[in-house]
Amino acid sequence: MNTAVVSNILKYTVNRCLRAQNVIKIAAASAPVFKRDVHTTKPNNDLMEFFDVKKNWGETNIRVGRGWRLDELRIKSNSDLHKLWYVLLKERNMLYTMEHECKRQTRLFPNPERIDKVQESMDNIETVIRERNVAYYKLETGETGERPVEDVVNLFGLPEKYEKKEHFIPKFMNTRWVKSYYEHGFVNSAAVKKFMRLYKEKQYNVERKARNRDFNHVQHLLKRFPNMDMEALKAEYPDVDIEKAKRTKKARGHFMPKY
Amino acid sequence: MSTRWYPIYQKGNPQLRVFLPNFWMKIVQPQAKQLPNVVQFHCSMEMTKFDIKNYLEKIYHIPVVDVRTKIAIGKFRRDVGKGYVIKDDDVKTAYVVLPKDMKFEYPDIFANKKDDAEEEQKALGDAKKNFQDYLDRNKHRTDVPSWFTI
Repeated sequence: MNTAVVSNILKYTVNRCLRAQNVIKIAAASAPVFKRDVHTTKPNNDLMEFFDVKKNWGETNIRVGRGWRLDELRIKSNSDLHKLWYVLLKERNMLYTMEHECKRQTRLFPNPERIDKVQESMDNIETVIRERNVAYYKLETGETGERPVEDVVNLFGLPEKYEKKEHFIPKFMNTRWVKSYYEHGFVNSAAVKKFMRLYKEKQYNVERKARNRDFNHVQHLLKRFPNMDMEALKAEYPDVDIEKAKRTKKARGHFMPKY
Repeated sequence: MSTRWYPIYQKGNPQLRVFLPNFWMKIVQPQAKQLPNVVQFHCSMEMTKFDIKNYLEKIYHIPVVDVRTKIAIGKFRRDVGKGYVIKDDDVKTAYVVLPKDMKFEYPDIFANKKDDAEEEQKALGDAKKNFQDYLDRNKHRTDVPSWFTI
């Protein structure tokens, strides 16, 4: 019975690979007893790898398993992940080819969620690899090894996150780029100054309107619900002076004033 | 990846190494008639000719003699309702030349496709059955809205 359970688990593992033909030989070496349960077809190394297996041609419903989850990938070795990446890459290429052909023939592409499943699995592999990479870099160098991000001021004078990338020449040699940051460059030009003035004015107006709106709303709330929980009101509208709002004309209802 | 952007080409060694490539390629039916050893692909926009050659040789073990690429601009069209301009995606096409003795013919995927009418009949039958089930389910509670259920 125990054997049956184990073989079922193995089968289940194999079914998770979306295409039986591409299953990597993970379990084959470790468990020779269950060798027969693992289906390992030799890849045919042909352009026909870009197409689905012949039995699925013209089908309207192709059932597949789910994608790989993060927890399943975290317990795999780097080389297994590397192999699985190429399995998924080929699978995705195959699905793209079939989708394109279906579109060309104005047919429905059967089970398009297969592409999402493969893509999700690939994203998960990337996440796991990135986790390992960051852990390794932190241990060895004390940095994350991620792409560095810098806070810069862009040409319009606005703060921006700049993801650093490779350039052919260093910054100071790039005369065209440097020119706009000179004293009389684009960043300090009248046009950008005017833009910043108008931009700030706009931002100020947005803030002012929000302030007035909240104050008015609090007054109306006080008018309708004079016995309201004042602390809750203060928590909801921290910027509003509630004592001032209570004394206004708008906050007075058709009853004897409470405050 | 921390190196997910395409690295810049540097002269000399070590050359560019890709650990987990996320390039995609798909075979498409050629519009014009091609020689039997020429295959037409669509591929990621960032792929160079060398990338395509390496991709096919290293991942698919397909011998490649020559690669030619072109980028076709996507069509500009107007939205039917609102009238704003829509641009379709650009497509990078690769013409891959295989060795002389190799032949590739684009297969006919829908050659032995089952009869469409039969499929439609089946779908219609399913829809009818589902509707009947729905009616039967709500037979004894005509005054209750259909969304009120478990």
